[in-house]
Amino acid sequence: MARAAVVGAGMTKFGVHDTPLQELFGRAALDAFDDAGITPDDVDAFYFGNAMGGQTENDTHLGPKLASHVGMAGIPVQRYEDACATSSNAFKNAVEAVEAGVHDVALVGGVERCTPETGKDTPEMTRIFASASHRQYEQPTGLTFPGVFALFTQRHMHEHGTTEEQLAHVAVKNHGNGSLNPNAHFGKQTTVEEALDAPKIADPFRLMDCCPFSDGASAVVIVSDDYADSFDAPVDVSGIGHATDVVPIGDKDQPHVTQAARDAAAQAYEQADTTADAMDFAEVHDCFTGAEILASEALGLVAEGEGGPAAAEGRTARDGDIPINPSGGLKAKGHPIGATGTAQIVELTEHLRGDAGERQLDGVEQGVAHNLGGDAATTVVTVMEARQ
Amino acid sequence: MSDRLTHAEWSDAVEDGDLLGQECPDCGKVQGTPKAACPDCGSRGLETVELPSEGTVYTETTIHVPPAPIEERGYQVVVVQLGDARVMGRLTDGEVDIGDSVSVSGFVEDHEGYVAPTFAAE
Ligand SMILES: [Zn+2]
Repeated sequence: MARAAVVGAGMTKFGVHDTPLQELFGRAALDAFDDAGITPDDVDAFYFGNAMGGQTENDTHLGPKLASHVGMAGIPVQRYEDACATSSNAFKNAVEAVEAGVHDVALVGGVERCTPETGKDTPEMTRIFASASHRQYEQPTGLTFPGVFALFTQRHMHEHGTTEEQLAHVAVKNHGNGSLNPNAHFGKQTTVEEALDAPKIADPFRLMDCCPFSDGASAVVIVSDDYADSFDAPVDVSGIGHATDVVPIGDKDQPHVTQAARDAAAQAYEQADTTADAMDFAEVHDCFTGAEILASEALGLVAEGEGGPAAAEGRTARDGDIPINPSGGLKAKGHPIGATGTAQIVELTEHLRGDAGERQLDGVEQGVAHNLGGDAATTVVTVMEARQ
Repeated sequence: MSDRLTHAEWSDAVEDGDLLGQECPDCGKVQGTPKAACPDCGSRGLETVELPSEGTVYTETTIHVPPAPIEERGYQVVVVQLGDARVMGRLTDGEVDIGDSVSVSGFVEDHEGYVAPTFAAE
């Protein structure tokens, strides 16, 4: 039995938007309503994610404001804020509530603006992103968010021989996938040479190893298992795992193994009564190329230490044995923090319905999403499958 | 009254060139930053311990695009293995790789007065 089902999905293009948050979110939410064939009157609750609106736009009490904008004033709204795992945490809580019978229908989604449209330049946004690292024991060193994943990736390279060229292959693959996605921030392909030639950001990462600052919104309508059959093309949420790891990085046992992802994946696979081997594709949190390699191993999609070679050999490409990030991932699709988690759910839904257009993968029946936050201290892993 | 290590005491020690950590008497975990209880077993009986001032680089990165208001570029952030604990800090000069020996060389202070230890290559 599914824990809940997604019956409607919508997202904006990720990129640069000169639009207030409510209008940006409104586009994704109304598309999700239309896709589900419901009206705001049908929605029992709204689970909402935004991570940085207070810092970036001086805008904090967003739940009722967004609910009012899309015709849902009056219903219960709860806002989640969990660094880059913000809207997948909202999604997890919505699924639990629907499964428990608290609601029949819930809207889940997120919105964020991270580009200079907020009035913040790159050094200031870099500071705001770094606020997801430990204020007392990480930030005073001058650590940045690319720096966090650089520390993990350098250790992974040391342990497993992962190379900068293998990292570049992740960027090339995801840019290629993004070029097929009309909602992607970057629609342009790149090459290994171009990636290896880009300016350095934080060793071993160069510009092409890093996801962009993006604006965007995403939303899904979820319903209870019983209720799902009265909708067209429901997609089942069969398992969700959520785990955390020790903070700060210095106190983690083995930072590069991203233990929270392993724990969350084990929970999700167990709930779904499935295994990593049964996954037909994955959307993973590739905020940096190294993060995708760590995720591919933590989710059990490739063997330990094989994430780099798997990317270089094309195993994670669209025509490989385990396609990763057919959407283009955070790397090419973009990373509007609070919208990222539910955007992964949108991507899984479209592929499992056979509705992903030019980027549709062949014959996929089961997929996994991996969304992490902070210094890899939070991870939410979701398994979804096409309803039979 | 608890005598568990606080951030203020940890910071004062960093300014004096000393690194303090905590050892769990129940499970043996040694960590490089203070907490109210052991993250592994929840024990509140954490004992403050002095960490060695010399260790090896566990992982490192060089930051080329700094956060505001830092203007310096190309500084190295290191996680250093000091005995059974690890501590994050800044390298003061030179360049190190994983496995290289380093020792505590002082501290840096950010725009709000928070401190981090610095290390120098041996
Ligand atoms: Zn303990």
